[in-house]
Amino acid sequence: MGEPAIICDGLTRDFPSGRALDGLTIDVQPGEVLALLGPNGAGKTTTIRLLNGVLVPDSGTATVLGMDPWRQGNELRARTGVLTENAGLDERFTALENLVVMARLRGIDADVARRKAGDLLERFGMGHRADVKVQGFSTGQRKRVALARALLHEPDLLFLDEPTSGLDPAATRDVVDLIGSLAAEQGRTVVLCTHFLGEAGKLANRMAVLFQGKLHAFGTPAELARGLWTGTEVRLDLDVPAPDALLSSLGALSMVIQAVPTPNGVVVRVADRDAVPVVVATCVAAGAPVYAVNPHDPSLEDVYFEIEARAGAVALPEEP
Amino acid sequence: MTDSTARVATVERERVNWSVVRVMLGRDLGAIVRSKALILPMLALPLVLLVLLPAAIGLAANGKQLRVERFVDMLPSALAAPVMAHPPQERLVILVLGYLVAPLFLIVPLMISAVTAADTFAGEKERRTLETLLHLPVRDRDLYIAKLLGGFIPATAVAWSGFVIFAVISNIVCWPVMHRLFLPTWLWMIVILWLAPAVAAIGLGIMVRVSIRVNNTQEAQQLGGAVVLPLVILAVGQTTGLLLAGPKVAFGAGIVLWAIAIWLNIRGARAYARDTMATRL
Repeated sequence: MGEPAIICDGLTRDFPSGRALDGLTIDVQPGEVLALLGPNGAGKTTTIRLLNGVLVPDSGTATVLGMDPWRQGNELRARTGVLTENAGLDERFTALENLVVMARLRGIDADVARRKAGDLLERFGMGHRADVKVQGFSTGQRKRVALARALLHEPDLLFLDEPTSGLDPAATRDVVDLIGSLAAEQGRTVVLCTHFLGEAGKLANRMAVLFQGKLHAFGTPAELARGLWTGTEVRLDLDVPAPDALLSSLGALSMVIQAVPTPNGVVVRVADRDAVPVVVATCVAAGAPVYAVNPHDPSLEDVYFEIEARAGAVALPEEP
Repeated sequence: MTDSTARVATVERERVNWSVVRVMLGRDLGAIVRSKALILPMLALPLVLLVLLPAAIGLAANGKQLRVERFVDMLPSALAAPVMAHPPQERLVILVLGYLVAPLFLIVPLMISAVTAADTFAGEKERRTLETLLHLPVRDRDLYIAKLLGGFIPATAVAWSGFVIFAVISNIVCWPVMHRLFLPTWLWMIVILWLAPAVAAIGLGIMVRVSIRVNNTQEAQQLGGAVVLPLVILAVGQTTGLLLAGPKVAFGAGIVLWAIAIWLNIRGARAYARDTMATRL
């Protein structure tokens, strides 16, 4: 594995309203999609602004594409593309004009800029509206134009801030597919800020979970799940809630960590998958027919909400 | 200097990228031309002040003998002398179009620079386009210069072209009274070429500072108006006296105005820093 595309260590930034980011330490590998997850105000946008050299940190260091974002900001920004949460298009201009101006500000020749902008608008399904003023565009159309703008100069690193916020389900799927192809086919490094777990689950290799400016978890969903829970969760369908006697029998098994009744059976957490036949046999022996057995790997949602719950517990004020 | 400011300061010593300035300037001027909300107020005041007023004065001077001596008599003799040196039928034209309109004329570049600066600086925040600009590989200073010129060029252009129209109309309408071309005078040339750009630059300097602190154009104009309007009244009052006192004094006043403008804009450039602007997004 080569040099990371992003390394940051202890990145901290205060605003008059409080601390926006508190000691962020992460790394992103070239070609990787990293999802920055967290609720509004978690510090995701501040992270992007710091890593792209727009904001200066109060403390901490970072190297992005081998550069110091605050000493080599313009060199860095020449190689990054940003999709801001609000598309940031000038409504007084057409889609094509918006893109051409931005390309020219990036030093691209006017003719080349016009050609590239036209090609990208076509690719993102906006070719037919290239010469229409942005004023009447839907949120989805604006996002597409803004995504095209972020790609005009073929950046090595993409920062995407809430790329699907405000989009309907069909537009969300289209944008997620576009981002997926950018990472998979073109090998771009992507930092994706979102609070939509579905798109993060589809796109991201790793995730960093932020709450109130602090990093609470960082890794692949499987790594994070292993850190949160031990063993494997198995759902048994008994058609009725597990009786207390069965719960006691299951609890007595050494390989069972936990057994919790559900409306139609029981959820058993076992140390490893070898315990599953023993659990099923115990149920049958106790006179409970087993209709289905489903080992359940935790989803990104399970991981995120568990982290959120634990972060919330940490953040709760102490009882007086 | 903190480590943070040192990091930012290192990039500010490089040369101005005029290519970036030109593109940004073209974008801002193009947007102004397309915006009726900007164009209409920019043209309304010059129309009244530079077209309708001289036409009305010219017609009044033609129609009957209006006596201005009682007004001129209230001025100190040194100030009244330039007006009283003319024949009685010319005194109204000379007093109003030669002297009194000149300081009022300074409102034109001041107002236009304030309106355009509010749009180009605070308007970027309002339209949510500022963050996109901050993520570009463009130096803060280049961005600032482009924005400054985006306010300065329309203000100066309207002032200068407005004066040409004013002079043509005044000379035509007042020909029956004056029987000669009486505009431009030296005083007017100083007002147009020296004072008007300085006043526009002052308006920009004030509006930049205001615009960094507010979130939309309306707030910028309101807050800017609270600062600019008293200055306008003060300036008009003082400039009337300065102009009557002669070209040398008017030129000297221009030096003071330019010094203020330069000071304001240097401070504005320092305040127009990426981190500061991103903090207020």
